[in-house]
Amino acid sequence: MELSQAMITGQGITLGEAFGEGLKVTGLGMGIVFSVLIILMIVLCLFKVIFYKEPKKEAVAAADVPETPAPVSSVRQEPENDMGDEELIAVLTAAVAASLNTSTYNLRIKSYRRVNNNVPAWNKAGVTETINNRVF
Amino acid sequence: MLQNAQDALASGGNFLQVAGTPIMLAIACLLLYLAIVKKFEPLLLLPIAFGMLLSNLPMLKDSNAIMMHTEFFTDPDYMIDGQVDIQRVVSSGGLLDMLYLGVKLGIYPPLIFVGIGCMTDFGPLIANPKSILLGAAAQFGVFFTFLGALVLSALIPSINFGVKEASSIGIIGGADGPTAIYVTKSLAPALLPAIAIAAYSYMALIPVIQPPIMKLMTTKKMRGVVMEQLRPVSKTEKILFPIIVTIVVGLIIPDAVSLVGCLMLGNILKESGVVDRLSKTAQNELMNIITIFLGITVGATATAESFLNTQTLGIIALGLIAFCFSTVGGLFLGDIMYWVTKGKVNPLIGSAGVSAVPMAARVSQVVGQKENPSNFLLMHAMGPNVAGVIGSAVAAGVFLSMFTNI
Repeated sequence: MELSQAMITGQGITLGEAFGEGLKVTGLGMGIVFSVLIILMIVLCLFKVIFYKEPKKEAVAAADVPETPAPVSSVRQEPENDMGDEELIAVLTAAVAASLNTSTYNLRIKSYRRVNNNVPAWNKAGVTETINNRVF
Repeated sequence: MLQNAQDALASGGNFLQVAGTPIMLAIACLLLYLAIVKKFEPLLLLPIAFGMLLSNLPMLKDSNAIMMHTEFFTDPDYMIDGQVDIQRVVSSGGLLDMLYLGVKLGIYPPLIFVGIGCMTDFGPLIANPKSILLGAAAQFGVFFTFLGALVLSALIPSINFGVKEASSIGIIGGADGPTAIYVTKSLAPALLPAIAIAAYSYMALIPVIQPPIMKLMTTKKMRGVVMEQLRPVSKTEKILFPIIVTIVVGLIIPDAVSLVGCLMLGNILKESGVVDRLSKTAQNELMNIITIFLGITVGATATAESFLNTQTLGIIALGLIAFCFSTVGGLFLGDIMYWVTKGKVNPLIGSAGVSAVPMAARVSQVVGQKENPSNFLLMHAMGPNVAGVIGSAVAAGVFLSMFTNI
């Protein structure tokens, strides 16, 4: 690129030169940045076409299914609320949405019930130990 | 030291030789205060400030205890054909001289990018490809400040910013520390400490700088827009993304590859899921070690002669302009998107195109939530935010390819 000595050393730049060079680089630079990112945008749009199946029908179907997939092995029904009802439902919705790979907007929790935890004590101890081993 | 000062005065020495050291030590202590008490990006500002302290201690000339010889890297008398005399650095340099080679040779910033890549989730960007444009628009401040620096240089006789210096100052607007350091060490090494300090301080000030501009450029209704939920992104897409970005950037702007390529290397380490150990090392141990080396050596280059002058004041002023106009650029395109999509895009996510991750995105979230408490913009803002990292690396590549060889 042709540049005057003044533009390189910064000594004795005139205002006209400064604006001329500045605007040129601004135009060129923004042009290049935009063109690189626009190309990436096009690629990402292609990603959507290639890899993403619209889950619309699935979602509608899913909306009918999810009453909480509560384990059947419930022993007693126990609606004791140690956290607020709304909060619990929010957590449940999020968990179900995550496991069904859908959005929380497609779900409505109609009812839930707490089931007793009847895992043997040894199992629990094992799980706790594994978890603790991974904490570092 | 007092003797030195008297000698300097007697021999008609200027103000700098007399008061330079105490002023630099005071500045180092001020930066330490900002880092420790005010928590301004302490991860970098603390090592930078301490490096500054170390290299500005009053020492006898040619003492073996001097840890940093900035003249080895900037004074032509100590260099061979304008290149750093590595033999001299290794044989007579101090600890910081040797560590500084990592900055000078462009080793640290790309390695930091590997770590950043490991911590970055490009999912929100893949889910909403439009948001990548906001990351491009937010580079406006970079180029606007380039122009500003040249104009300032034309207006004020004691400030001499050529195109190389102007590029290094402009890149502060990318709000990306490693990128700014990478460009500056190649184009204007003498300005490195001022630019690094300005970049990291303003990054810490983003929650103060951005909100007023955001309120000015958007209406209440715009800020309250709730955006559609992002689609889920598959693992295949997340793995393909870094590969494709590297190829595209490499083809168009090879000078950006050392930064973007390393960012994407880190990202694929994480997304591939098969090299968990490498990914953990890159984002923890490796990155922390490099951060210490980078911070302390960049700080150590701040000597009284290179730092205490009007140019530094100019850089601090221009750095603020750079951040403001990058925010303006992002918001402007955000506003356009709001109109084009008829109110589906919340323009606040535009300001997150300034790449300081995740601070800028968090600011969008906070400002949006003030208008509409049930609005969660964070994930939407992460798209432009990570695009901004790519955008500023590309802008850096533009400067490097234009001005390295002149």
